[in-house]
Amino acid sequence: MNQRLRIVKSILWALVGVWTVVSVGRFAHGLGPSTGLSNAAPWGLWIAFDVLGGVALAAGGFVLAAVVYIFGIERYRPLVRPAILTAFLGYVAVAVGLVYDLGLPWHIWHPMIYPQDHSVLFEVAMCVMLYLTVLALEFAPVVLEHPLFSHPFFRGVHTLLKKSTIWLVIAGIILSTLHQSSLGSLFLIVPYRLDPLWYTPIIYILFFISAVGLGLATLIMESLASGWLFGHRMRKDLLSRLGLAASVVLGLYVLVRLADLARHGLLARAFDGSWQANLFLFEMGIGFVLPCILLAVPRLRTSLPGLATGSFLVIFGVVLNRFTVSILAFAKPPGVTYFPTWPELAVSLGVVSGATLIFIFFVEHLKVYSEDDHAHPGEPGYIKPWRPSFDPATLHGLTPEWLAGPRRYSLVAIAGASLAVGLLPRGMLTKPEPLRTPVARARTVEAMQVDHGRGKRVEFRLVGSDAGAPAGVKTVPVMLIDGDRNGRIVFFPHDEIAEKLGGDTACAECHHLNLPFDRNTACAACHCDMYEEADIFNHATHIDHLNGNAGCGRCHDDPSRVKSRATATACVQCHADMIAVEPFLDKSQKETMTGLAPGYMNAMHDLCVACHELKVKENPNEYPASFAQCDFCHGESENIDLQRLGPYVALDKDGANGAATPGRNGID
Amino acid sequence: MSAYAMLTDTTLCIGCEACVDACKKVNGLGPDRLWPEQKAIDDLSATRYTTILRRPGPRYVRQQCRHCVDPACASACLVGAMHKTPEGPVVYDSGRCMGCRYCMVACPYGIPRYDWNKAVPYVRKCTMCYDRLKAGKLPACEEACPEKATIFGEREALLKVARQRLRDNPRKYVQRIYGETEVGGTSVLMISDIPLDFLAWKPRLADQPLPQLTWAALSKVPPVVIGVGGLMAGIYWVIGRRMKMQALAAAAAEQAAQAAEDPRAGEKGRE
Repeated sequence: MNQRLRIVKSILWALVGVWTVVSVGRFAHGLGPSTGLSNAAPWGLWIAFDVLGGVALAAGGFVLAAVVYIFGIERYRPLVRPAILTAFLGYVAVAVGLVYDLGLPWHIWHPMIYPQDHSVLFEVAMCVMLYLTVLALEFAPVVLEHPLFSHPFFRGVHTLLKKSTIWLVIAGIILSTLHQSSLGSLFLIVPYRLDPLWYTPIIYILFFISAVGLGLATLIMESLASGWLFGHRMRKDLLSRLGLAASVVLGLYVLVRLADLARHGLLARAFDGSWQANLFLFEMGIGFVLPCILLAVPRLRTSLPGLATGSFLVIFGVVLNRFTVSILAFAKPPGVTYFPTWPELAVSLGVVSGATLIFIFFVEHLKVYSEDDHAHPGEPGYIKPWRPSFDPATLHGLTPEWLAGPRRYSLVAIAGASLAVGLLPRGMLTKPEPLRTPVARARTVEAMQVDHGRGKRVEFRLVGSDAGAPAGVKTVPVMLIDGDRNGRIVFFPHDEIAEKLGGDTACAECHHLNLPFDRNTACAACHCDMYEEADIFNHATHIDHLNGNAGCGRCHDDPSRVKSRATATACVQCHADMIAVEPFLDKSQKETMTGLAPGYMNAMHDLCVACHELKVKENPNEYPASFAQCDFCHGESENIDLQRLGPYVALDKDGANGAATPGRNGID
Repeated sequence: MSAYAMLTDTTLCIGCEACVDACKKVNGLGPDRLWPEQKAIDDLSATRYTTILRRPGPRYVRQQCRHCVDPACASACLVGAMHKTPEGPVVYDSGRCMGCRYCMVACPYGIPRYDWNKAVPYVRKCTMCYDRLKAGKLPACEEACPEKATIFGEREALLKVARQRLRDNPRKYVQRIYGETEVGGTSVLMISDIPLDFLAWKPRLADQPLPQLTWAALSKVPPVVIGVGGLMAGIYWVIGRRMKMQALAAAAAEQAAQAAEDPRAGEKGRE
C-alpha cells in the first residue's frame, strides 16, 4: 500500500469517527438541536447535497453502462466496473443520508405498503429503491468472482447475473431517466416558493440533462482520483473523449435553459442585478458555460489539469444548482435563513468518507480494476514507494509495528470521535431546552413618552405600527407589567427608573438577590424566562415538589383550620435563605411582613407604591401627592388593543421589537 | 352533502385568542416555548395549530391550515399520511408518516409545523377537529369564538354567507372571498377589510390546484418507461446486429485475404 492511500484512509477514518458521535446526537434528541432546519426551511444540506447532489453524482453508472452495453463502445469497458461500484456506493450513501434527514427513518419502507401514486416523491423513492437493487445485481458478479464464493451455487448465480446484464442495464437506464428527472419534478409543486429563474414546467428535463453531464464529469474525476490514489495509468484518451461528451451535454443544457427562460420572458430578469440574477449568472457561468468551453477545447481537454478543472467545475455547478433549487432560491420569510450546522456537515462528510472507504476496500479485495490498469515504473501515474523517516499523518516512524494497519485507523477514528464529543452543540446529547429570554427584554417594547409636566402622569403610548414614532418624539423602552393577568398593563420604564436608583448596582433596591446559600446571584439567573407561568408564589410548583396531596400539611400544618393563604406556614420557615438582604421596603414595613409570599400584584404594589409614597413624603416639592395615587401608573391607555399584548412581546436579538411590529408572521 | 368548511371574518375578530386556547386544550398541546428555529413565541408551531396575527390597524387575522380542496401536501406525501377527507378536513396519519417534510415544502400557505426537538417527530397542523366532527361536535375554535368571527358549516352555505356580507357592506370589505378559488379553493374561507395576501407565499395565488402541476410531469412516466426501454433495446439490437455483420464481414475479408495469399485455400473457400 502506498503512502498516499494511507494518508487518505487516515483522514477518512477520522471523519468517520466524528460522524459516529454526531449520529448519536442526531438520533437522541431529534433534528432541532443537530441541524439548522426550521419550519420555514424544512429541507437543508442533507437533501440538497446527500440526496439531490448524491443521486446526480452517481449518474455516471447508468451513463457508462449505456455507452458500453447499449451502444457497444467497447473501449470504455475498463471504466465500467469502477463506475458501477461508484454508482452503487453513491446510492447507498443517498439512502444513508436520507436516514439522517427523515424524522422517522424506521418508516423508510412505508412507500412500499402505503403507495401514493400522485406523489413525485413516491416515484423517486420506488425508482431509487429499485435502481439500488439493479446496481447491486450489476456489481454482484464482481463480488462473486472472489475465491470465497467458489461454491457451484455461487458460480451458477454468477453466470445467471452475467447473462441478464443487458436487461439489468436497460432497467437501470429506465429507472435512472425517471428518477433523475423526477428529482426536478419535486419542485413543480412550489411555483410560489421557488424563484422563477429556476422554476420552470420543464425543470425535470433540466435535471436530467445536468445529471448526465454531471455523471460524465464524475466518471472523469473518479478515474483521475483513483488513478492518483492507486497509481493507475491515466487513460487520457478515454477521459478526454468523455470530457468532449460532457461538453456537448452541458452545451445542450445551457441552450435548453436559456431558450426556456426566453420563452417565459425571463431573460431580462437574469440581468437585473438582483442577488437571484447574480446567483443565476454565477451558476450558469462558472458551473456550466465555463466547463463547457474548457472541455470543448482539444488542447485543454487532453491535458490532465484541463480535464480536472473542467470536470470539477461541472461537479461544482450542478451541485450548486441543486443547492440553489432546494435552499438558496427557495423562498423563506424575511429574517429566516438556513445555514447548515457543523454536525450536518459532519454527517454529509462522514457518509461520503464511509462510502469511499468501502470503495477502497472493494478495490483492495476485488477485481474492480484489471491488472494492466496499474502503471509501471516510468509510466505516467506511477507512484514511487516512499517511506519517510517520520510522517505526522500516519505516525509512521513514530509508532511501533503493532500500531499498524487497522490499529492506526481505529486510533484516528477514536481521535475524531473524541474531538466531536468535545465540540457537540448543546442539546444534541443533553435534552434540548427552549431559548431563555432575559427578563428585562422579555416584555419590553418601545413607547413614546408624553410628559404632562411636573407631578402629572407620564403617559406612554406604543409606537404606531406602520410609521413608527413621529419625528421629534422621544421613545423609551418600557416594560409591560400585568401582575394579575387581567389584560390591563402598566407601562413601567424599567431602565429609566433603574438609572435613577443607581444604575447597575440598584437591582437589589427592588429585587431579591439571593439563591439559597448564595449572596451574589445575578438577576437573570432566576428571571431568565418570563414566558413561563410563574408568579411570586406558584402553588402548583409547590404541590409538585412536596409530593402531591401528601404534602399539603407541610404548609397548611393545622388541620383544624381552613387551608388558605392566611393560615399557611410562612415561606421564610422553609426558605430562610431567600429573604432579601437589602429589601427596598423601609424597616417599619419589614416588621409587618407576614412572611407569606405575596402574589405578583401585591408584590408590585408593595414595591412601587411604597417607593412612590416615600418620594412624596421626602420631597413634596418635586413629587406632588398625585405621584403616589393609583392613576399615576394605571391611567387608562387610549390604545386599548395594546393592553392585550400579554406574555408574547419579545425583542429580537438586534434589539428591534418583534411583536410590536405588526405584520410579523410565519410567512410575509 | 357538500363538504364542511369554516369561514373567518377578520372584521369580527377581537384578537382574544380564545380559539388558540380552545385548540390547545382539545389537542393537548401544552404551553408554547421559544425554540431556536422559531421566530416568535406566538408563531404557528408544533404546540400552536392556530394563531392570531396582528396587522396594522389593529386588525386580527387568524392563521391556520386552510384545508385546501385539492391539497398540495396530500399530493406531495408519498405514503398518503396527509389526506383530504370527504368531510373537508385535511388530516394527518402519524402512523404512516416517514418524516420527509415534503408537505411542509409543498404547502402554498406555509402551514405545517414540525416537532423539531423530539426524537420521534411528527408533522403538526390544524385538523379542523376531525375527531370532534366525527363525534358530531363542532371545531373547538369555532365553539370558543365569542364574536362568531369564525363559523362552521357546509362550504356552499358559507360561501353564500360570505357573499351576502360582501354585498351588504361593499365599502367595508375587500371584495374577495379568500379561499373561494385560489389553488382550487380551500375549506377555510376568509373575508376581511384588509388584503390577506400576506398569508400565502405569493400575493396572488392562481386558481390552478398545485397537484396538477406535478401530475403534468408524473403522467409522463408510463410513456417514458416504454419509450426509453424500447429505444435502448432497439439501439442494442441494431448496434449488436451491425457489429455482428461487421465481424462477419471482417472474417470474410480475412478469409479473402488468406485466399489471395494461398490460392489453394481460396479455392476451398469458393467451393
